[in-house]
Amino acid sequence: MRPRRVLPALLAGAVIAAAVLAQPARPATAQAAGEEAPPLPDVSWSFEGPFGTFDRAALQRGFQIYTEICSACHSMNLVTYDDLAGPSGLGYTEAEVKAIAAQKQIADIDKNGQPIQRPARPSDHFVAPFPNESAARTANNGAVPPDLSDMIKARDGGARYVYGILTGFRDAPKGVEMRSGMNYNLYFPGHQIAMPQPLQDNSVQYADGTKATLDQEAHDVVTFLTWAADPTTEERKRTGAKVILFLLAMTGVLYGAKRRVWSDIEH
Amino acid sequence: MAESAHSQTADAHAAGGTRRDFLVITGNALLGIGAVAAAWPLISSMNPARDVLAAGAPIDVDLSSLQPGQQILVLWRSRPIFIVHRTPAELKKLQDPQDISLLRDPDSNVLQQPPYVKNWHRSIKPEYLVLVGICTHLGCIPEFMPQPGGSLGPAWLGGYFCPCHGSRYDLSGRVFSGVPAPYNLPVPPHHFVSGTTVRIGENPTTSPFDFDSIEQI
Amino acid sequence: MAVSQNKLVQWIDHRLPVFTFLDHELNQYPTPKNLNYWWNFGSLAGVMLTIMIVTGVFLAMQYTPSVDDAFQSVERIMREVNYGWLMRYLHMNGASFFFIVTYIHIFRGLYYGSYKAPRELLWMLGVVILLLMMMTAFMGYVLPWGQMSFWGATVITNLFSAFPGIGNDIVTWLWGGFAVGNPTLNRFYALHYLLPFVIFAVVGLHLMALHQHGSNNPLGIDRKGPQDSVPFHPYYTYKDMFGLSAFLIVFAIVVFYFPNLLGNPENYIPANPMQTPPEIVPEWYLLPYYAILRAIPNKLLGVCAMFASIFVLFIVPWLDTSKVRSAYFRPIYKWVFWLLVIDAFALGAVGAHRPEGIWIVIGRVGTIYYFLHFLVLMPLIGWFERPLPLPPSIAEAVLKKRGGGALAGAAATRTKP
Repeated sequence: MRPRRVLPALLAGAVIAAAVLAQPARPATAQAAGEEAPPLPDVSWSFEGPFGTFDRAALQRGFQIYTEICSACHSMNLVTYDDLAGPSGLGYTEAEVKAIAAQKQIADIDKNGQPIQRPARPSDHFVAPFPNESAARTANNGAVPPDLSDMIKARDGGARYVYGILTGFRDAPKGVEMRSGMNYNLYFPGHQIAMPQPLQDNSVQYADGTKATLDQEAHDVVTFLTWAADPTTEERKRTGAKVILFLLAMTGVLYGAKRRVWSDIEH
Repeated sequence: MAESAHSQTADAHAAGGTRRDFLVITGNALLGIGAVAAAWPLISSMNPARDVLAAGAPIDVDLSSLQPGQQILVLWRSRPIFIVHRTPAELKKLQDPQDISLLRDPDSNVLQQPPYVKNWHRSIKPEYLVLVGICTHLGCIPEFMPQPGGSLGPAWLGGYFCPCHGSRYDLSGRVFSGVPAPYNLPVPPHHFVSGTTVRIGENPTTSPFDFDSIEQI
Repeated sequence: MAVSQNKLVQWIDHRLPVFTFLDHELNQYPTPKNLNYWWNFGSLAGVMLTIMIVTGVFLAMQYTPSVDDAFQSVERIMREVNYGWLMRYLHMNGASFFFIVTYIHIFRGLYYGSYKAPRELLWMLGVVILLLMMMTAFMGYVLPWGQMSFWGATVITNLFSAFPGIGNDIVTWLWGGFAVGNPTLNRFYALHYLLPFVIFAVVGLHLMALHQHGSNNPLGIDRKGPQDSVPFHPYYTYKDMFGLSAFLIVFAIVVFYFPNLLGNPENYIPANPMQTPPEIVPEWYLLPYYAILRAIPNKLLGVCAMFASIFVLFIVPWLDTSKVRSAYFRPIYKWVFWLLVIDAFALGAVGAHRPEGIWIVIGRVGTIYYFLHFLVLMPLIGWFERPLPLPPSIAEAVLKKRGGGALAGAAATRTKP
């Protein structure tokens, strides 16, 4: 046996097989999406790569964009105000989070059983703009604005795709007939999206004084949405590094142990 | 057969004892450490999740409509909380030396309450008692029976009676001697944010106290 | 014969011979000394089954099987439960890695003729495990109640409607309603929890059958004496542990850095019975069967072909007529084997694409070749092929290889002049 030859081949084989098998599923949906969408814009992110982390300032700016613009139509039902606190969140203190939550009114029932509106608490999930799906549909010409909690994980292309959508609004090319109420977007499957362009230059006044260009806004809000889709990303990567280091050491030692055990056998 | 011949080779290896060298022992140790480390996330997952902990936030209760002699029951951290408005007569009886002599821990020496309620009435304001309504025996909810005598016989002084195994407490949650329950009923952290609004789950700002440090729920 | 000097061990063993059993199956159990690393995948599959059961039990403590709460409860596991993200990503990717390991294990068996006498039942039990795994994986995929869960369940259960006369009744019975709904989710959850333990039991039988005649080996010849074998412990225990550790590195890289690589983004959208996703794609490990299903433009025949593609594996021991086990000594079959591997990958790619244009052609050719391989080529090649001369014994082949003799690389898997 030649373990030194077989094993790397085997490991590589497993990775390649997994990658190859995973790949066909992706273009399939992109193709289904419609007529030759251009490749997604290649943007660099703070959270890329095995050691990438979220830029806290970008997260806070992104949250500002969500609060001031997106949350008018889009819910984020899976995220709580608590999630914003601390180093694994957006870096806000608990008092800041309490104040952020208290700005929103949430439906509740008082002790006499009457429906009331009360200020949201940190343990509450983000307050949704519409009480239910039918209300959301009615208010938006029949198209329900999707919940944004998992948006980055729920689309092919993830962060790049959402960034593409936010920056991909154009005037419809000549000869393209737009359905009523639809907007032309380079990256949306079929190019006709119900959402009007949500972000322009200077859509918000950033609290930290950053210049609010469209690219900056899109980049910030996508950073925020990426965090929201998987708030444990940083913990996951840190744990992964430790686990893999341990496994590498163990593999080395066990390879030695295996050779030692086999050393008295002709094989 | 082949197998008996085989065991000879196996024995030969074992006799040599060469297996147990440094690499093999280290490898075994790493496997053991890895297995234990892998068990930790699984065990940890059974502890209260973040949302469960967040739902344990303090609650405010308005006592303005609670009449003397009445009790209300609210939930805090999924536990029943008794809030009693005690009458002057009931308060007086808490100090009766003869009654006190029947109690197991009349001075609340066992850590079953924050230090700021370690007094004869086990509360911040004498008339308003706040208790975790869980019997210290095996976790049933004791019944509020403030009237002396009655179905519990002439010896009953008024207080809490646990229907499960007959544990008895007085109207400040102090346990009587000779019943299965070992400790007084716990008092949760609380303070008054206004004259008649009590916040349960939060200490007065001047008195930090860790509720998890009490002897027993 | 005492297994230990320890009095307590002796006391227990006299009454309940677990120590004798372990000694017999590990310390005494003779294993060919020439097994290569492809033989690691059996025990790896066992480890994957264990990982799946353990993470699954702890996930079940947090999961809520109801159409209103299932999606939320999985997201709650991901966001609120301590290490919930880890358990969920391990379980989700663990399914894929269980299949990777199992497929390699199966193809290893096919290459080295591990299904041939006297190991026919060992092989058939393995096929039973594969079937149970596919059922378990399918029902597990439904549990998060995302779009792919719902529509995958709808499409797969609808396969049974192809059967004439009783088809619709079967489908209604599977659903417990008029469409995939809460009763379906509940029963899938119950079965998804049960079946892994059934798999565990069949694995026990699989091992019993294995230990009856011992492992096959890369040369495919029987052991002739002690010089051909080593005791399983410590030789193969340490080799398996080393292989496991190396395998876990790959698994960890995916779990910690690419946890959604093998999943479908669509499943992060809650199930919506009013809207079908643009494309319904099964998990990658079911893609080849899906391709066979769609290759035949007739509903009933397509379903039959799909089931046949798995059931044909049951009769492989009798379809292969060659007297020689290992493909190493079979100059023609060896190439046909690799064609089958390519065919499986091709069918997988076909299953991932819409049945349009070239994919229809590849799908049909691939499906025909798949059955051609088992039903025609296997029996024919066994008759006509002239195998290379077999070495007299494992020990001699091993020594020759060490000496750089003609058999160099006999145990290696692919290289052959």
